[in-house]
Amino acid sequence: MTPGFDAPPPPGLPDFATVEGQARAPAPREHEPGLTLDRVDFDYQGHVIVAAMDFELHRGASAVVTGQNGCGKSTFLYVAAGLIPPRRGAVLHAGHPLGALFPSARVQRGIRVGFVFQEGGLLANLDTMSNVSLALRYHYDVLGLDEAALVARAEGALEAAQIARADWYRQPAHLSFGMRKRLALARALAIKPNFFFFDDPDVGLDPRTAQVIHQILCQLRDDPEVTLLVATNRPQLIERLEVPGYRLHAGQLSPHSGQSSLPPGGGFTRPPR
Amino acid sequence: MADPGKAGESLLSGLGASALQAYRVAGALVLTLVSAWKSSSAPGLGAREVCRAVTVRQIFYTSFQALSMISLVALFVGATLTAQSEILGGPLQRETTGRILVTVIVRELAPLITAIIVAGRSGTAIVTEIGVMRVNSEILALASLGVDPPRLIVWPRIVSTTVSVPLLTVYFSTMAVLGGFLSLFVIDSHAVAEWRSGAVMGLSLLDLPLVLVKTLGLGALVGWLCSYYGFEVGSSPTEVPQKASRAVVQSLIACIIYNAVITLAFYGLLVGGRLQ
Repeated sequence: MTPGFDAPPPPGLPDFATVEGQARAPAPREHEPGLTLDRVDFDYQGHVIVAAMDFELHRGASAVVTGQNGCGKSTFLYVAAGLIPPRRGAVLHAGHPLGALFPSARVQRGIRVGFVFQEGGLLANLDTMSNVSLALRYHYDVLGLDEAALVARAEGALEAAQIARADWYRQPAHLSFGMRKRLALARALAIKPNFFFFDDPDVGLDPRTAQVIHQILCQLRDDPEVTLLVATNRPQLIERLEVPGYRLHAGQLSPHSGQSSLPPGGGFTRPPR
Repeated sequence: MADPGKAGESLLSGLGASALQAYRVAGALVLTLVSAWKSSSAPGLGAREVCRAVTVRQIFYTSFQALSMISLVALFVGATLTAQSEILGGPLQRETTGRILVTVIVRELAPLITAIIVAGRSGTAIVTEIGVMRVNSEILALASLGVDPPRLIVWPRIVSTTVSVPLLTVYFSTMAVLGGFLSLFVIDSHAVAEWRSGAVMGLSLLDLPLVLVKTLGLGALVGWLCSYYGFEVGSSPTEVPQKASRAVVQSLIACIIYNAVITLAFYGLLVGGRLQ
């Protein structure tokens, strides 16, 4: 019996028990703004990541971003999530320009972002439980949580990510790579995000851990409240998600229809023979 | 032979680059302080409670955990100063010896040495901690969770050094006077009464605002500069020790200049006339 997946979800968390094969949720709300990039420019040490980009992902919609290694997928996700400001242009979440807002002010406006980094991002001096509950404590008044609900929410997220209770009070440094990835996922889920960004979800993971993450991503994809953007080059995940794909190249996103979101060579450009 | 026109051009471009760099650093320093102050007054009960707990913990690390080091330094500084005054003044100048010790310690040495100890001990810890957080994307992760890094990271550290330096200065002064007393007791136990009356006379009420302005400013400078340099770390771990060393050096220079400016301003503008 898999812990976490058989128990009913705690209040505030989506039911992660559903797996692939279930009917897809209703179509995204095309009349409601989700993630908007308005003429956004960003470069890093002279390397153009995004050039005058216009991009719209409606509320509840999902997309996959592919591209060659080093093309700036991670940085693009940072800009889209509002973690780093663009050089020019505006990034909007649910119609709110993020530029002038402190991160906490975004939460107060109902913008809850879940971001899972390719690597790192866990608070090294906090244990597993504290990593997950920090944002909940910081925003308990905004989220309307009392202590019991807060603990239940954190525990639910840890169980959903299949992190064993024995690991709940261990420092991230004492966890395996796969466990750290799931902890980052649990932390992002705990805040019940309506914008979810996942950078290379299953790189370096064993099939079982990757399976857990794929299931949760499918669940997020089907949630009409969640706008999901995933950066990956993994054909298996792209096929499984079945969402519109975009390829990041030369600072622009070009759409690919269906599963052809994969760039030639599964995300890598083969060198000429 | 070097072209004088090109050399002049290169000198000008070097000066221009330095001016631009200074302008950039000044802007970033102001931004660090303003964003920390603004975010600290932003609404949010949970945020306030979490940040208050972090601040209390930081004050504990900065002040309480530094007591043993402060005790050691202050005792020996007080003892050395008394011994030197005794060599200079001898048995006929004991009242002056006590007066000099208290004046020099309370007004000048205690605030400055305390700030130097806090910069060396807690300042490096602040830069290193923030720098490592930058390298590991922890700062970005906090922002993604809706947590304000200036409020959770910068403001508690500025507050903790600002609170700790005055407290530690009082403690340093007490321990240094004790060190002087012990030193004199060893040299000549009969001279203590005369020395003590001089020490009491050395203090005035005007020392209170001077020491308060000095210590609050010195503490704020250390927390502010070290937080700024922590955030200056990019993505490489090798930058952490570089920024830590730069932060401590800059903090020391800033503290010494600030200390001198406040002393001169205080005595020149406020009480210069009275002392004459």
